Amino acid sequence: MILAQLIANSIIIGSIYALVAAGFALVYSTNKFMHFAHGVMVAFSGYMLFLMFSILGVNFYISCFITLILAGLLGWISYRVVYEPLQKRKSSNVILLIASLGLLILLENTLMIFFGPDIKTINYFGIAKGIDILGAIVTPIQIAIIIITLVLLVGLYFFMNKSKIGRNMRAVADNKELTSITGINYRSIADLSFIIGSVLAGIAGILIAIEQNLTPAMGTGLIIKGFTGAVIGSIMSVPGSIIGSYILGFAENFGVWFLPSEYKDAIAFILLFIFLLFKPNGLFGVDKGVRNK
Amino acid sequence: MIEAYLIHLLILVGIYSVLAVSLNLALGNTGLMNMGHIAFFGIGAYTSVIFTKDLGVPFFAAFLIAGLLTSVFGFILVYATRKLRGDYLALATLGFSFVIYSLMLNWSSVTRGPLGIPGISKPCFFGLCIANNLQYLIFVLIISAISIAIMYIIVNSSFGKLLAATRDDDIGLRALGKNTFMLKSKALMISAFFAGIAGSLFAHYITYIDPSSFMLSEVILIFTIVIVGGIASIKGSIVSTFLIILIPELLRFLNIPSSVLGPARQIIYALILLVIVLWRPKGLFGKIDLE
Repeated sequence: MILAQLIANSIIIGSIYALVAAGFALVYSTNKFMHFAHGVMVAFSGYMLFLMFSILGVNFYISCFITLILAGLLGWISYRVVYEPLQKRKSSNVILLIASLGLLILLENTLMIFFGPDIKTINYFGIAKGIDILGAIVTPIQIAIIIITLVLLVGLYFFMNKSKIGRNMRAVADNKELTSITGINYRSIADLSFIIGSVLAGIAGILIAIEQNLTPAMGTGLIIKGFTGAVIGSIMSVPGSIIGSYILGFAENFGVWFLPSEYKDAIAFILLFIFLLFKPNGLFGVDKGVRNK
Repeated sequence: MIEAYLIHLLILVGIYSVLAVSLNLALGNTGLMNMGHIAFFGIGAYTSVIFTKDLGVPFFAAFLIAGLLTSVFGFILVYATRKLRGDYLALATLGFSFVIYSLMLNWSSVTRGPLGIPGISKPCFFGLCIANNLQYLIFVLIISAISIAIMYIIVNSSFGKLLAATRDDDIGLRALGKNTFMLKSKALMISAFFAGIAGSLFAHYITYIDPSSFMLSEVILIFTIVIVGGIASIKGSIVSTFLIILIPELLRFLNIPSSVLGPARQIIYALILLVIVLWRPKGLFGKIDLE
């Protein structure tokens, strides 16, 4: 009973982390820098849905659609305005990392000023009665979250491996110089990685908005979790980071069996620190450019 | 009224300048990308408070213990991350600050968790206690001046030259038979010591601490100070502390509601940081480019 519930909770939260981590790892593997402001794309999307659906009264599905366009746009703008000039100057990854944290704080506090620090809820589907699956109580929205996430991630897998654009993206991730010789335009690939990554974050934002609550600071919390999931799997690989996110979901929920529940967040922090120290390339990654020889 | 307000700001400038110069010692002079500096500040604050309040140790002893214990954490951090470089080092140190943050938040029996510790006493020396903020300002200025002078001497000594050499050419220095790990660990321990005593000064001034004073947004604040001032420039860090602490205070004269004030301040820090990183990576007085 408790076991089934814990497994269900792990899969639900793991799915959210996986959506965040997949976009983050997509940007990292293509561009080789940490886009921490990715977290705020999730919060931004949740609030855009809130703005259009709850405040302006636009149809729910049209609101979702516009939200995703705006998320992709914000991701693309952050690349062009902040990261691209730094890349052109050949700044180190650390500078890009600092810039991304600056961007995260900037956007998060902008949301805070426009929408206030209090919790917002979007109650579109109402409160549905939980369904009993093998002893675990799961709401229909939670089932939808799992299914949507799995469909998206499988879709992303096929896109990355079967389509020409996806293969170009992986080629850039593997060797940027070599691919530029073969005539692949790095800039458009980078644009695309930010747009796809941010739309994935946008979908996560919408799912969280209808299942849980919105707070302006949620982006920071989510990117730390998504990032931890990515590090556990491998920050260089989208499938690895997805598996890592589910591992994190399980570790958090089952850790509470042994530890007081306040330690839930600490579990992620400690896993992150341990992995960065001892296995920075993750469970499924290759050791390349991470450690001193 | 305005005097009390100015004294308050100057005390903060004094405390943060020690924090910024000590970060610059690790970041600028030694090239150690430490994003966990705020954790050192927090460890110093909590240590000093727990020792004076719970264990009844006199302030000055607790103040030094805060610095020394933080220094031990500095060694642990540099030892744990000795094999990492680049952004992975930055992230591991950031992860360290998250671990310390969750420790402050969850180790309730010692830190009182999210409730924080209120009613921290002002420092006393042999029965003479600091009675008002003007006296505290003088005290902070003395400690800051001594701390910064010590760090200035360290940076300009032959040891400081070796630190700069580890930053510029780690392998070359090792080829000359220097133990760069020892150099880096000494640098980080010194840096952590001063961050720890800055934390102690902060806690006994504000008289209330909770984990939220040592979070990610504060990491951005001290990074902004150091980067605006310029990498490896002590003068830059001091001037920049004045600017970064005082500029957002102008918002107070704009009559905006206090709920907006906090976020607006964070936005100003973030914008300044982005502008400097994008357009003037040397900062105001930087000797070397931010790379």
